[in-house]
Amino acid sequence: MTRKTILGLLVPLLVVVHFFLHVGFGIERAAPDLLTLALLLAARETGMGSGGAMGFFFGLLEDAFSVLAFGASTLAMTVVGILGARTRELFVGDSLLFFFVYLGSGKLLRDMIHWVVAGEVVREPFLNVVLIDGGIAAIYLASVGLLLALFLGDSRALR
Amino acid sequence: MASYTDPPEEGRGRRDLTVALAFLVLAALVLYLPPGTQSQVAAALRSTVLQPFLMTQGALAQARLRAEGALRLQAQLDSLASIVASQSSLVAENQHLRGLLDLQARAPGSFLPANLIRPGTAGSRSMFLLDVGSDQGVQAGDPVLMRNGRIALVGKIREVSRGAAIGLDWSHPDFRASAMTADGEVFGMVEPRPGDFLGGERLLLNAIPYYERLDSGTLITTSGLGGVFPRGIPIGEVLELHQEEGNWRSEYLLRPMVETGSATHVLVVRADASIQRLLELFEGGGVAGSPEVDSTGGRDG
Repeated sequence: MTRKTILGLLVPLLVVVHFFLHVGFGIERAAPDLLTLALLLAARETGMGSGGAMGFFFGLLEDAFSVLAFGASTLAMTVVGILGARTRELFVGDSLLFFFVYLGSGKLLRDMIHWVVAGEVVREPFLNVVLIDGGIAAIYLASVGLLLALFLGDSRALR
Repeated sequence: MASYTDPPEEGRGRRDLTVALAFLVLAALVLYLPPGTQSQVAAALRSTVLQPFLMTQGALAQARLRAEGALRLQAQLDSLASIVASQSSLVAENQHLRGLLDLQARAPGSFLPANLIRPGTAGSRSMFLLDVGSDQGVQAGDPVLMRNGRIALVGKIREVSRGAAIGLDWSHPDFRASAMTADGEVFGMVEPRPGDFLGGERLLLNAIPYYERLDSGTLITTSGLGGVFPRGIPIGEVLELHQEEGNWRSEYLLRPMVETGSATHVLVVRADASIQRLLELFEGGGVAGSPEVDSTGGRDG
């Protein structure tokens, strides 16, 4: 199977699983942010336009459950989608370490933008939200991505 | 002859950049859409692509409810029956005393059971969805309660659509409730206090006069002042003295009666009966003959 086919199947699957875990089963932070993972994986394969479009729609889906900071996820995911696509042109890395750092920083960036944009009403201390919770979530997401890459074997489909 | 058009790669890159910038602008615009439009977009998404996920959580909540042991339910029914039996004389007594004091009859509130769905997505903290809406008479501002040993306050409704409602629980930074001790002696204001760690949120009872001392474990309920929440709904229990300001007032930390994450099956206090009652009063309607179906939904003092 080609890299595009694998991602074409994996990305929608991750999106569906993300919403089943978070919304369907009501698991909050115990479940990884598979939506951002899907975006980061897809963005490396597409151009900036498609990355931005995907980020926009993914973010909008997440914002459907956000009364107080509507649009924050949309903007954060759009920026991450665009920058994720841009990294392909800036960094040519296919090592597992690069892949881990790419996923982790993408998630951290997403949380940081969300924190900045969300507004004062819902904004909690930066240290708690971005550095501690965000850091843990970033490592969690990157680990899940790494496991997925290892599971898919030598195909290098995700990197 | 050399072409003056852009090479295909360059042209594609420029187009890509334009599309990316267009989506970036669009994303920024979404952030500044009027709240009404934002709600409409969110509701449209929830009722279409996200509907299967919401239905899954609704079905799971129903299954959990059905799995609740019949013996436990029977025990609760027995307890309720004994409480009702022991308090039946109080209704007549209360009616008599109110008559003596020339007090208005309490407006009856009605409870509507609902399933609470909590999306675990980013930015949805303090928010919950209910599977009841304007079709069932739910209105924005209606209090949401939960039985956790005793009935206690979860939060209130913020937006209502047909068949669904969105609410905010007590952990939301804007939550405020006028409160009092259960004996009605001390009054104050309750607000959330962020915890040092996730799930460690507590409530803060402030504006308590310095000379009033509250013991640990004292039950704090809504006071009904301000008309947002009906009087007498338990909010939490006093944990400890948090802070004293000068020699004139103090603040107490409360342990909430309801941990927001544990709420799945709730009761919405519909305001319709009370509003009908107020309209009657404004129109100069008499108070006599109003049903004395007293409940925590009563909104007068």
